[in-house]
Amino acid sequence: MNDPATRMVSVDLQENEENRAVIEAIEADNPDVSVRHMPGVVKIEAPGRLVIKRESVEERLGRDWETHEFQMAIITLAGNITEWDDDEIVLAWNARR
Amino acid sequence: MALKTIGTYEFPSRSRQELYGEDMLVHVWWKDNPMFCAAATFRAPQAMSWADFRAAIVDPWASSDPDYDASHDFSWGLDGQPFTPEPGTSLADLGIGHKHTVSFWG
Amino acid sequence: MTATPTRPARKLSMKARYSALTRDLDWEPSYVSSAEMFPYTSFEGIKIHDWSKWEDPFRLTVDAYYKYQAEKDKRLYAVLDGFAQSQGHLSLSQASYLNAMKIFLGGVTPLEYQAHRNFAFLSRHFNGPGPRFAALCQSQDEIRHAQTEIHTLSNYNKYYSGMHSFLKQHDRVWYMSVPKSYFDDALSAGPFEFLIAIGFSFEYLLTNLLFVPFMSGASFNGDLPTMTFGFSAQSDESRHMTLGLEAIKFLLEQDEDNVPIVQEWVDKWFWRGYRVAAIVAQMLDYMLPKPVMSWKEAFELYFEKQMLEGLFPDLEYYGIKPPRHVQQAIDEKEALSHFVYWVFYNFSFAANFTTSIPSTEHQAWLAENYPDTFVEYFQKPRWDKAQRIVDNGGRFFFMGLPQLCQVCQIPMTFPEPGDLNTICQRTSDYNGEHFNLCSDGCKWIFDREPEKYVQAWLPVHQIYQGNCGGPTVPDVLAWYGMQEGDGGEIAGSRDEVNWAAWHGTPAAKEA
Repeated sequence: MNDPATRMVSVDLQENEENRAVIEAIEADNPDVSVRHMPGVVKIEAPGRLVIKRESVEERLGRDWETHEFQMAIITLAGNITEWDDDEIVLAWNARR
Repeated sequence: MALKTIGTYEFPSRSRQELYGEDMLVHVWWKDNPMFCAAATFRAPQAMSWADFRAAIVDPWASSDPDYDASHDFSWGLDGQPFTPEPGTSLADLGIGHKHTVSFWG
Repeated sequence: MTATPTRPARKLSMKARYSALTRDLDWEPSYVSSAEMFPYTSFEGIKIHDWSKWEDPFRLTVDAYYKYQAEKDKRLYAVLDGFAQSQGHLSLSQASYLNAMKIFLGGVTPLEYQAHRNFAFLSRHFNGPGPRFAALCQSQDEIRHAQTEIHTLSNYNKYYSGMHSFLKQHDRVWYMSVPKSYFDDALSAGPFEFLIAIGFSFEYLLTNLLFVPFMSGASFNGDLPTMTFGFSAQSDESRHMTLGLEAIKFLLEQDEDNVPIVQEWVDKWFWRGYRVAAIVAQMLDYMLPKPVMSWKEAFELYFEKQMLEGLFPDLEYYGIKPPRHVQQAIDEKEALSHFVYWVFYNFSFAANFTTSIPSTEHQAWLAENYPDTFVEYFQKPRWDKAQRIVDNGGRFFFMGLPQLCQVCQIPMTFPEPGDLNTICQRTSDYNGEHFNLCSDGCKWIFDREPEKYVQAWLPVHQIYQGNCGGPTVPDVLAWYGMQEGDGGEIAGSRDEVNWAAWHGTPAAKEA
């Protein structure tokens, strides 16, 4: 249970049309994700690490997308944001920074 | 542990007995009746007799439950210890203090 | 001014922009000492050696912050307008759904405003520019939340009871003292304790339980505006969670001596927040006419799995253990909502919302979600008897005032550990006075700082001191700002009668 590689990280996103591209991009870039749908919310979980890549989102959205826009989609998260730059956002568990 | 503060920190209790004059607060807990979500709090004179406390304060409240029978022979407790209320004795003389809890069951 | 225009410089990277617009705006004081400029960051015993070690994973700058916040508001207000214009309130699952929002408006919205105030204070008083800027953003977020919640619910206030005096009621009504005193406790603490209390323990550990499953429930019950403000607020909340987590790690990394101090704050504020969340538990399980997720499931998903199994192993590295008394919270998950809704059923004659016996279908849902507890401990001994009283033409109300816990201020209803049939009662004597506590958690908190909790403004005690409008129930309700039709039983209530008339169906018989 204490292994940061297997502990689940997750993001909950608003389930709407615009976020479909984000959700699909996450599913494509993180092979081990599990997705749970609740009214208005989609919860995406992955063991250890979860990445959101700008290029993957842009490909599906058909327009430019800056990673700051992820703030419009996210409802909550479990895990540390270990990277948030112009190209990707990474969530993971790990004690040391 | 001492409170960590930026200055002297001394404030009186907002529920201290003197704020109620000759009265006090008494809790009454019907232990085995889940209809009452909690014990009740009453304000009563310290000199009030147990019989008056029962008739004027406890009975009307307990009658929230239509099955309450005031003549039933309940067992009584005070702060978790067995307790025998004497009808003619005052609450104070029975040892009931401010914000203490009288309970009954059976 | 140069004559020849040059090509604009290449846009800075997020990292460089964050550094330039946040950290570079800091300066060393020269006219006063650092201790004079920041007088509140030493008395709590927390030691900070290097404020620059504070990280903001969001790398938020003021331009990006306002750009996205404005966009969030535009989206929300478009929804509010459309909903109001289209008589959206008529498409709620039931009028009684709004009982939850009446609690939310008086119980939560004023806390957002208080959070705004205290984060503004932190944004002035922390020594480091990183936490100051993060606190500034959070302060702005919190006032946005207060405003958007008031705007969202004001549309319902035109048609429904119980929402008209929420600010006055936050300060006066018996159950509102639970969230109010919780936040007052945090506001009167030092800046670091506040950060652990609200930034970490509340925002990180517990707000998910309020904002995620409940807002999903709003979606499922036709409350588009609440769902929208809830998720709009929660999008800020994920930033607040990150701040809270950053805060605790920063304090733990700065000095080993901080660890035991932080541990006690985590212990205290987990339990304080958990007790307030009991009100959310009954909103999820009882107040949504169409429930979506039980408290138990939400607690398992958002607290046990994400926090205890996810976060706390990370914190163990620093020597932080899961909160003291967390096991009691886990044990109570099967029963918490049932106890608290029963309190409200006992006392809704003195509230700004109504309660009723759950319908047969709703009780079946509760039995299904709480197979080990609902039928045996709640349906048979409580609801079945309440139904018999109704069948005989009555309605069970608690005709008196309840014993309150000196710390959480909730009526002392919670069970003895391991025994759902017995109320837990704890006591402490301090300065010759006797105090009553609802649990080992609240007793531990009281005994740690009795000087603080003896000042509690307990509504029941204040009524008996004559400070709440007068000695009778109508006197007190008038002082609360209650109007005819705000509280009581759902069946026959003003909201229910209006709802039936608007939908062309006959009103249910009065209870």
